Amino acid sequence: MVNLTIDDKQVTAPKNATIYDAAKLNGIKIPILCHDSKLKPFGACRMCLVEVEQMKGRQIPACTTPITEGMIIRTATPDIIKARKMVLELLLLNHPIDCPVCDKAGDCDLQNLTYEYEVNANRFADAKFNHVIDYNNPLIERDMNRCVLCGKCARICDEIVSFGALTFMDRGIETKIACEFEAPLNCEFCGSCVSVCPVGSLLARPFKFKARFWALTNQKTVCSYCGTGCNLTLGVKDNKVLTTVYDENQGFHKGQLCCRGRFGYQFINSERRLTTPLVRKNGTLVETTWDEAIEVIAAKMKTAGASTAALATPRITNEELILFKELMETVGSNNYDHSAGYAHAALTKGFVQSLGVAASPASILDVQKTDLLLVIKTDTYETHPVVGFEINMAVKNKEVKLNILSDKRGKLSKLPNAKTLIHVPGTEIAVINALAKVIVDEKLADGTAASVPGFAELEKALAAFTPDAVAAQCGLTAADIKQLATDYAKAEKALILFPVGLPYPGHNEDLASALANLAILTGKLGKEGCGVLCMAEKNNSQGAVDMGFYSTAGMDAGKIIDGCASGSVKTLFIAGENPVVSYPDHTKIAAALDKVDFLVVADLFMTETAAMADVVLPACSFAEKEGTFTSVDRRVQHIKPAIRKIGQCRSDFEIFGALITKLGGKPSATPAKTFEAISSSVAGYAGMSYASLGETGAYAAVSVKPSFVVPKTMSLASESGKLALVTGSALYHSGTMSQYGEGPMYVCPEGYVELSRNDASKMKIAENDLVIVTSSKGSIKLKAKISMRMPQGVLFAPYHFSETSINRICSGAPVTWVSLSK
Amino acid sequence: MTQILLRQDHTGQCLSFGQYCDAGGFEALRTALGGMSPNDVQQAVIDSGLRGRGGAGFPTGKKWSFVPRNLPGPRYLICNCDEMEPGTYKDRVLLEQNPHILIEGMALTCYALGVEHAFIFVRRGYEQAAANLRTAIGAAKQAGFLGSDILGSGFSLQLDIHQSAGRYICGEETALINALEGIRANPRVKPPFPAVKGLWGQPTVVNNVETLANIPAIIAHGPTWWKGLAATPEAAGTKLFCISGHVRNTECFELPLGTPLGKIIDGPCGGMRPGSTFKACIPGGASTPYFTREHWGVAMDFDPVAKAGSRLGTGGIIVFDQNTCMVAATLNLTRFYARESCGWCTPCREGLPFLVHTLEKIEQGLGTESDPDILREHVHALNYAFCALAPGAMGPVEGLLRLFEDELREHITKGRCPFGD
Ligand SMILES: Cc1cc2nc3c(=O)[nH]c(=O)nc-3n(C[C@H](O)[C@H](O)[C@H](O)COP(=O)(O)O)c2cc1C
Ligand code: SF4
Ligand code: SF4
Ligand code: SF4
Ligand code: FES
Repeated sequence: MVNLTIDDKQVTAPKNATIYDAAKLNGIKIPILCHDSKLKPFGACRMCLVEVEQMKGRQIPACTTPITEGMIIRTATPDIIKARKMVLELLLLNHPIDCPVCDKAGDCDLQNLTYEYEVNANRFADAKFNHVIDYNNPLIERDMNRCVLCGKCARICDEIVSFGALTFMDRGIETKIACEFEAPLNCEFCGSCVSVCPVGSLLARPFKFKARFWALTNQKTVCSYCGTGCNLTLGVKDNKVLTTVYDENQGFHKGQLCCRGRFGYQFINSERRLTTPLVRKNGTLVETTWDEAIEVIAAKMKTAGASTAALATPRITNEELILFKELMETVGSNNYDHSAGYAHAALTKGFVQSLGVAASPASILDVQKTDLLLVIKTDTYETHPVVGFEINMAVKNKEVKLNILSDKRGKLSKLPNAKTLIHVPGTEIAVINALAKVIVDEKLADGTAASVPGFAELEKALAAFTPDAVAAQCGLTAADIKQLATDYAKAEKALILFPVGLPYPGHNEDLASALANLAILTGKLGKEGCGVLCMAEKNNSQGAVDMGFYSTAGMDAGKIIDGCASGSVKTLFIAGENPVVSYPDHTKIAAALDKVDFLVVADLFMTETAAMADVVLPACSFAEKEGTFTSVDRRVQHIKPAIRKIGQCRSDFEIFGALITKLGGKPSATPAKTFEAISSSVAGYAGMSYASLGETGAYAAVSVKPSFVVPKTMSLASESGKLALVTGSALYHSGTMSQYGEGPMYVCPEGYVELSRNDASKMKIAENDLVIVTSSKGSIKLKAKISMRMPQGVLFAPYHFSETSINRICSGAPVTWVSLSK
Repeated sequence: MTQILLRQDHTGQCLSFGQYCDAGGFEALRTALGGMSPNDVQQAVIDSGLRGRGGAGFPTGKKWSFVPRNLPGPRYLICNCDEMEPGTYKDRVLLEQNPHILIEGMALTCYALGVEHAFIFVRRGYEQAAANLRTAIGAAKQAGFLGSDILGSGFSLQLDIHQSAGRYICGEETALINALEGIRANPRVKPPFPAVKGLWGQPTVVNNVETLANIPAIIAHGPTWWKGLAATPEAAGTKLFCISGHVRNTECFELPLGTPLGKIIDGPCGGMRPGSTFKACIPGGASTPYFTREHWGVAMDFDPVAKAGSRLGTGGIIVFDQNTCMVAATLNLTRFYARESCGWCTPCREGLPFLVHTLEKIEQGLGTESDPDILREHVHALNYAFCALAPGAMGPVEGLLRLFEDELREHITKGRCPFGD
């Protein structure tokens, strides 16, 4: 600690603090405009000038100057006040001062500082700017006339997002922020730049003229898209969520969000929300009352009894999942599952066998604390973009080595010194086994490895996975495999990340075990910056696993679908899932749901699945209810209602409760009560309560019992003359829900198929051409996107879209062999 | 009068590699590599009292001593030949005549600092200087004074020329490093200073052409001899003074450091032009406050010039006669700085155009009573800008307010420029 004097107060601060940090830590406010604690020191605006006695009273910027022992600092002498006023006067020289029509008014640093420093007249006068306002994209408006050139937008886009869309251009008074060659903005649209802009230069267009800042009520909650579990503040007025509000202190991610988190909130108040219960009469769905709907459903479930089945989306709360299970127990059925039954297998089967627990022994915070990251599939950036930011920062600021094993290149491959090994699609498990083989053979294993159960079997099984044998089959070189194995094993700390979810059927229990083997072999478990992080797709995927909402004794999702087709499932209750679009093999799913006796769907929207139901129930969004979500790294977080329920919507908690009551049971009265039960029964949740979760949640402990498991590899009979289609997530989307978020749909409105330049030129396909993709299951028409990242012979398609559902031609295999035609 | 940088017999043409060697060129490098340790070289430079010729006058040996010797990875030396300050052209004259002396100086410096890769950052317009350097580097390489294992000493040096994309700010050492890295030439936050974290994050020394060109003489003849070349006991070495304005001879002269201003003007400059009498001058490049007749006797050395209220800067002297309007002269200079501001920090980006605006107003006779005070406030604020460009830009304005306030006020009270017709 360093001792210093600020404004005659004796204070202490840590060694590497700046004057600004030290003052802030001790409750002394120094005004800032260009400084942001998330970004590197900048020192341009000169708002934070202070005087340091040891520097002969020179005025120096507090935000860039490190403290030294014995420093005597004054932050508000008359001279300094004068200097700050001068800075503000200068900034206002060319500023349009159009606060009455500026969406930033009320939340604007320039406005607030001008007010605070009582700059009520400008002694200087000069011409105003006349920059053209960029309205070229639907999400971010850029009005450089209001810019104070703090550089935060360009810096955050570079330092944290690693996209680099914005930069300084021209010089002197002509300096402005622009995109390369003054092109329109075309980026990841995460809105980070909007969030940090201190003035009204960068604005969220979906919020334009929706409300004055001060008329909003803010509600802190948790994002309901992916499993990162970002903390979110919703801005509400008149029972409408009108925007997301940036809070730089919120969560581990310091208020950073991705495109869907920041701009995808519109589904909450969408005009398309279901608002009344519907029941099918004479073939059409007509409005009904809740009483009637509950009555009908309860009766159907009762008669079906053990042949009732349930599918839930891992987007609903832990409490709702528990109650759903209770409902199924009430009717005597244990047929319940989620995510097509395979998207959670890495956890429920893989990790259970390898680690004795269905959770990841690592946290997102480990990303910046490790020495080496091994990322399986570049898609990790697209599925969990804010974890992607953590990776960017780890690589760029902490010099963490990034190794990627993927079937295509991606955003992550572009990070400094990133090494991407591109393997033949579907062969990742073989490659990972080969890594294990090298680790064992080259004596790189930890001393404890040999005593872990299953070592001998694994060692034997690995015989078939020599680097040479695997390299030939996977399109890598043996040297690459050996190098990666050595780098991973020799790194003091290393962390493995891999995404799982509906579009990644190959990321199954075997992949999870293969990766766990690496960590166990090298002793990279249970230590800071080490472990394996299974990044499940949805906001509460880990919660659904923790709540045990998957088949153990009963039918899994696959069997449930088959049961619907065969008649062994009589009544199917689907809460929030949209299998018709999101499960593989569209034809089969649609036929099965058509066949089932009685189908109930509770959802926010009239999804393709809801449209087939006999009863449709309008459910609440995350913004209308209370409960908990559990993130991929088992952060259990409390969500609170931001708005009153829309129309006659009820939360799934209320729906399941009403049904249990109707069926003669006694459901828990409130989510809080259910959470109490959860905390006393779910491993790792002990001692938690809503109160103890606070604003950013609590981690559920994960304790592991490692054993080696021999992972099965997939047999991939490649079909000659065909292309390998792999599916995945698009950066702007999550599941099928983001289709109801205007933001994501503005940027990425429809499905597409991505192919390499070589394949495109061979087949004379141009960007945006409509192409027909045909598999053994059928064919669909998609727009072509030509990109440098795809290897020749490999196609990529995102799976989120109803109209162009890729599941019409995919059947749940890791790779689908297709042909392309125009 | 001993000259070590310029050769009177060679004005206007480039010394060949052979001619340089015949006159004792590269002997200093032989001496150093033959028996001096890197530390010895650095100590000689410290003892010589050499101060940077790039404008700030920072003691060169001291700057070198800031370079940490124990950090992993390479260290770099960059020679700053951006020379874009109005009134300064000494580095061009030197390199058009003798590029070899810079190469030898750089080799010695790199040896002292343990640098194996050095760069010469050349102003965009300096085609001839760059061409000379290219030829000279080729010849030096051929002769074994550059490249690997120089003179069998185990010391290796790669020397590369980088031609600037052009802009005054590229001369500021941290902006220069950015430019060399291929990114926008904005100055960097200090600390960390380049000596610790410079080019590509590695320890880097940036020195001016003239500074480096003095090293061979210091090593060849010893620091005491070199120091003694100055005109006063306090000063050290010689200095290139490049002259422009209303004098007879507007050339670059190598003179003992500490030569009084009046002696330079009356001596090598040949006095004022016919019909001109001395009114004022800029003593050290466009960013230094004016001198007037009262400064005639000031020794042109760093400390005496600073004591007299200006800076020796680069040694670029611009002389004004009795018909010069000091408001117009200041406006002209301020326009240059406003145009060259990199746009990073508020006082410089917004303040300089405003000063131009205000000076224009005054020059056109539209000034108001409060304008001098507003100018004064800006001079104060610009001293606390992000880099030294803005304080430099304030040199002339500060001088105008201090020495020519009457002339300034006359513009305002008369409602016109008193020098017009
Ligand atoms: C705006 C600006 C422009 C500069 N231009 C030059 C230049 O062209 N040449 C130069 O040697 N130094 C220039 N300098 C000074 C350099 O920053 C640096 O101090 C110098 O190169 C150090 O060399 P020296 O120690 O040998 O003097 C400039 C400084 C500023 C602030
Ligand atoms: S647009 Fe906003 S964030 Fe970017 S430099 Fe201007 S004021 Fe700063
Ligand atoms: S979608 Fe995921 S990464 Fe994006 S804001 Fe929401 S939780 Fe964060
Ligand atoms: S003083 Fe001028 S040149 Fe220097 S950083 Fe500020 S704006 Fe750029
Ligand atoms: S906040 Fe310190 S200079 Fe801008």
